[in-house]
Amino acid sequence: MNFNVALAGNPNCGKTTIFNHLTGARQHVGNWPGVTVERKSGHYSFGDHKFNTVDLPGTYSLTAFSAEETIVRKYLVEDRPEVVVNIVDASNLERNLFLTTQLIELGRPLVIVLNMMDMAEEKGLEIDVDTLATLLGAPVVPVIGRTGEGIDLLKEKILRVVTEQSQKSRPIKISYPRDIEAELEKISMLLEEESDDDHMRRWTSVKLLESDKQTRDEIRKRNQGQGILAQANASVERLELLFKDTGRAIVSHARYGFIQGAIRECVKENLKLSTDYSRQIDRLITNRWLGLPIFGFLMWLMFKITYDLGSIPMDWIDAGVVLLMNTVSNILPQSMFASLLVDGVIGGVGAIAVFLPNIFILFFIIAMLEDSGYMARVAFIMDRIMHNIGLHGKAFIPMIMGFGCNVPAIMGTRILESRRDRILTVLINPFMSCSARLPVYVLVGGAFFPENAATVIFSMYVLGIVVAIVSGKLFSRTILKGMSKPFVLELPPYQRPTLRSLTLHTWERGYLFIQRMGTVILVGSILIWVLGYFPQSVELSRDYDSERDQLVNTYSGKILDLNARYDASIDHARSEYHSKLVEFEASAAFLDLETQYNDLMSKFSFAQENDLLVLRQQEISEITEHRWIGKVGKLFEPIVAPLGFTWRESVALITGFIAKEIVVSTYGVLFGVGENVDEGNDGVISSLRTSGMTPVVALGFMVFTLLYTPCLATVAAIKRETGTWVYTIFSIGYSLSLAYLLAFSIKYFGGMFNWLT
Amino acid sequence: MFNFKKNPRHRLSLENREGLRLSDLRPGDKGRILEIGGSEQFRLRLIEMGLTRDTEVCVDKYAPLRDPMELIIKGYHLSIRGVDAQKISVELIN
Repeated sequence: MNFNVALAGNPNCGKTTIFNHLTGARQHVGNWPGVTVERKSGHYSFGDHKFNTVDLPGTYSLTAFSAEETIVRKYLVEDRPEVVVNIVDASNLERNLFLTTQLIELGRPLVIVLNMMDMAEEKGLEIDVDTLATLLGAPVVPVIGRTGEGIDLLKEKILRVVTEQSQKSRPIKISYPRDIEAELEKISMLLEEESDDDHMRRWTSVKLLESDKQTRDEIRKRNQGQGILAQANASVERLELLFKDTGRAIVSHARYGFIQGAIRECVKENLKLSTDYSRQIDRLITNRWLGLPIFGFLMWLMFKITYDLGSIPMDWIDAGVVLLMNTVSNILPQSMFASLLVDGVIGGVGAIAVFLPNIFILFFIIAMLEDSGYMARVAFIMDRIMHNIGLHGKAFIPMIMGFGCNVPAIMGTRILESRRDRILTVLINPFMSCSARLPVYVLVGGAFFPENAATVIFSMYVLGIVVAIVSGKLFSRTILKGMSKPFVLELPPYQRPTLRSLTLHTWERGYLFIQRMGTVILVGSILIWVLGYFPQSVELSRDYDSERDQLVNTYSGKILDLNARYDASIDHARSEYHSKLVEFEASAAFLDLETQYNDLMSKFSFAQENDLLVLRQQEISEITEHRWIGKVGKLFEPIVAPLGFTWRESVALITGFIAKEIVVSTYGVLFGVGENVDEGNDGVISSLRTSGMTPVVALGFMVFTLLYTPCLATVAAIKRETGTWVYTIFSIGYSLSLAYLLAFSIKYFGGMFNWLT
Repeated sequence: MFNFKKNPRHRLSLENREGLRLSDLRPGDKGRILEIGGSEQFRLRLIEMGLTRDTEVCVDKYAPLRDPMELIIKGYHLSIRGVDAQKISVELIN
């Protein structure tokens, strides 16, 4: 038979570790419908039965304030899993049991897992498991998640709960103070006419005392609804008067009262003075003076490892893509299909595939930071700074990673719990100047500001940060206003991460990248290819073929001429030696002639090759101008003209949409110096200087490159992480208009005051 | 008005008065929670995290940039911002 098992518990209770132990690699990661909260599910077999297991998001409560809480509650109430496995951190029992009281009231069959028993022992806590089971009315299984100890017993308990009636959790009541019980009774009596399920009635009554909106809405629709609600209101009012607090707070306090009673009965605290290792570590890591330097060093290390270590397999992938492109174009006859496959599909997807090592390494490090407990400390240390932009301390990590590549950085926003924070971080992340933009700055900056290139380039980075901060403040006060949650952050004890969980985490997130990015990038690459490929036959202003013939002819003529002159000179020289051939061939005069001849020959052939290349590049440049891509560039020319840009800049910016470093190679093509330019290429630099671009316009172009719509992969990541096109399109529009505005201001004011001339 | 938090001289006088706030406590101080103010959502969140009335809370330390603060409560570590700690009134129990 198939059974559904749901895992519920607090964040940091080791829920995912237990889930991994239960299901192994048979997992599937997706999203809960409508929200970007990860939904992990898997299955395992035990005793001829299949157990479909869902790892519910970690929550402290079921009050449905956050997306996570809503999901958990909805799943438990509507999908009614056969067993709810509540994972509880034994070393932090009191707070963890708060959720347990709510799960008990929900009435699904429950198995309670006392996780981290080893840590509880270290803390000097002795837990009477049997008494706890009696008090909570559900089987309790002690487990050590890190080693997997107790997992088999857990599987057995789950099996017995679903198969043996007698093992079903004995429905206990969370007992409340007498005044509350009296009111619960009053409400419950009214509910009796509709339902004979004791448990359900109690849950509903408690929820009504808590003025739970969902429950009230539901009751309102019933026949007796108005009467029940009237009673609920009266009860709440009475209790509020009595306890001088709101209904919800009263109930929550009462739950803790119940928990404290239970703990008094079954937990013995040995007064052996145990060292709190975690606290000792924290004395150093979140130290007033050392905290920030340590954090800075770790960030630097993370950056270094991600991009330096990543560059090794990146080169392999790059080489592999080139090899594949060459092989395919050698096998396939030249055709439109071959070009589509090679330049569009392989080239385009290959350009993104090189980021895979970065992404996997980054995710691995992030998983390490999360699993060890350091991530919470990052939030603790950086909150003061990030709070200024209306963000949570943890948001600092994706921001700093953006300097490397925005794609993994945006995917890294998953570490943030609140959707609002995630969206805000995603929206401002593209302004962190990624490494792909650097070649553009180096090229343009080097061409127009040779004296101050470093300063200009550095100021691009600073500008990016400033724009991110200003935009962050703007967004948190306008479109994302008021959605912020109070900062209440648990600092869990440090733990040694297990390789198994790190690998699983990394793979899950990396796989999502491959899966979702693939489609968007493929479509985009093909689109750009189409623009660059059609129309195939273009009318050119010059007959390049005949020019080429002419060029070859000219050089042939020159060579013939040279040969004739050489022969004549030789003859003349030889006559002086009176046909003493041997002596002649050893003479200085002969060697001199020979050298001169060879020099001239190689000069000619080099010049010919060069002239042919220049011609070919001019041809490509003109062809590009006539292709759709050039037409689109021309189409946008009037729009970008106020910025001082020509159609060349607009084409470069459009192709830069695939990846920003392509701006440089596009420039190479358009200026007819070939596509294999590196930043230091004198050809492009001199063509840039003579193209009529002024330093002011160049600066505007750099700023535009910094700010305008991030590359295709980033757009895909934004779509993926925000889960909606609304924010994706907003991000594109916002960054485009901001880029335009700033580039225009630079052109306008720069021209006005004659700066940079 | 006066920023009591930043001026330690006011602290002594505050201990004898009502209205001592969690944000007034220094690292190492222990307090008992009397009441939590602020929005209902905020209050509930804190109660759910175990900051219930009469609970003992120990201020472990402040973050390197002075905010937020780290508390030890019910045997675990919790961090909240100074502005929020200001909404929690406590009594000192050193």
